[in-house]
Amino acid sequence: MFERLRRKPLESELTDEELHRSALAGRGEAIAALYKRHGGLVYRFTLRMSGNESIAEEITQEVFLALLTQMDQFDAARGSLSTWLCGIARRKLWKHLEHSKDALFDFDEHTAAELPCTNDGPAELLLRQEAVLAVRAGMDELPPLLREVVILCSLEEMSYEQVARILAVPVGTVRSRLHRAKARLAGLLRTEMADTEGERR
Amino acid sequence: MTDKQLDEVLEELGREHRAIDAPDSLQRVLYAAAESRKSAIGKPRMQFPWAWAAVAILLAVVAVAGAIWRSLQTHQPQTEQAHTLPAPKVSPGPLHSSPVTARQSVEPNAEPVREAVKARAALRHSSPPDAPASSSLDAFVPLPASEGLPNAAELSIVRIRLRGSDLQQYGLQTPADALAQTMLAEFAVGEDGLPRAIRIVR
Repeated sequence: MFERLRRKPLESELTDEELHRSALAGRGEAIAALYKRHGGLVYRFTLRMSGNESIAEEITQEVFLALLTQMDQFDAARGSLSTWLCGIARRKLWKHLEHSKDALFDFDEHTAAELPCTNDGPAELLLRQEAVLAVRAGMDELPPLLREVVILCSLEEMSYEQVARILAVPVGTVRSRLHRAKARLAGLLRTEMADTEGERR
Repeated sequence: MTDKQLDEVLEELGREHRAIDAPDSLQRVLYAAAESRKSAIGKPRMQFPWAWAAVAILLAVVAVAGAIWRSLQTHQPQTEQAHTLPAPKVSPGPLHSSPVTARQSVEPNAEPVREAVKARAALRHSSPPDAPASSSLDAFVPLPASEGLPNAAELSIVRIRLRGSDLQQYGLQTPADALAQTMLAEFAVGEDGLPRAIRIVR
């Protein structure tokens, strides 16, 4: 029992707020643990939005450094840390996008994970792969305002409320943007698939 | 493509998307940043005693300056008071042979007069043989226009060098050969400032 009492809590057992306080006190392990928890979300979002790995890394680093310097701006009562981090990432990303529009969408497709194995036959698998590629390409065609909603709602599977908090817009706006984004994606895909069918014939 | 198909594709894409992890290289950078923050946090704690010492020195300087200022404030009225004090009465010094003009103001005071009389008497004892032998106010000749000699305590002695012709304005007869001569005379002046008696010194 005493062993248990004396045991120092692992970083994984601590809440975000506890880790944040610990990181502010100068504990490197705490910020590393926070990065392990939320770094992926921030990095993926910035990568998918910018399409550039170096920009995504740069912004992710800035976001977590802001966690150390802008300590008073995070309010746990107003939302989770992941939401707050994503909001900062979004602001930095938009600032970056405004300055350098040429850096967009050179995202290396090979860095993406392989498609998971299914019971489908080779033809179905090929069709699905083509559809995924087409959707991904279609996402890059979307305006950033619609693309970020698709990334957060569909790819990150966040709730409308969380996304609304990140984007600082009402939930209804998130819904309508997602609806518009999906409609546009469906339209793009229909055109793409029709072209592919035509080429095959 | 139907909405369902699109959702399935998006789900597929989401799985692929979430498999991407943040690069480990950033973790090291952030770790170092947090650790450097620890040392930055430690420094102000070390500086606290110095800060307090600086504050204490500052307060001491202010206190000393205040004390000096207050002492100056308290001394200044005293000096001003000293300046406004009436000048001490100047008693005539011992009589000597130097000329004294009538313009010189002499404050009438009984005490200085007594001292002057005594001093003059002492001077007379040591004076040359041509000096008059009188050693008191008896040697003074009352001026005709005056009301007579008051008490010695009310008199002041004023020594004046004047011409013989000047004596006439005091109602004195002057020999014709002495009219142009300059002589040294002593006037006994009353408290009202009017000359009462005269004595020719030489």
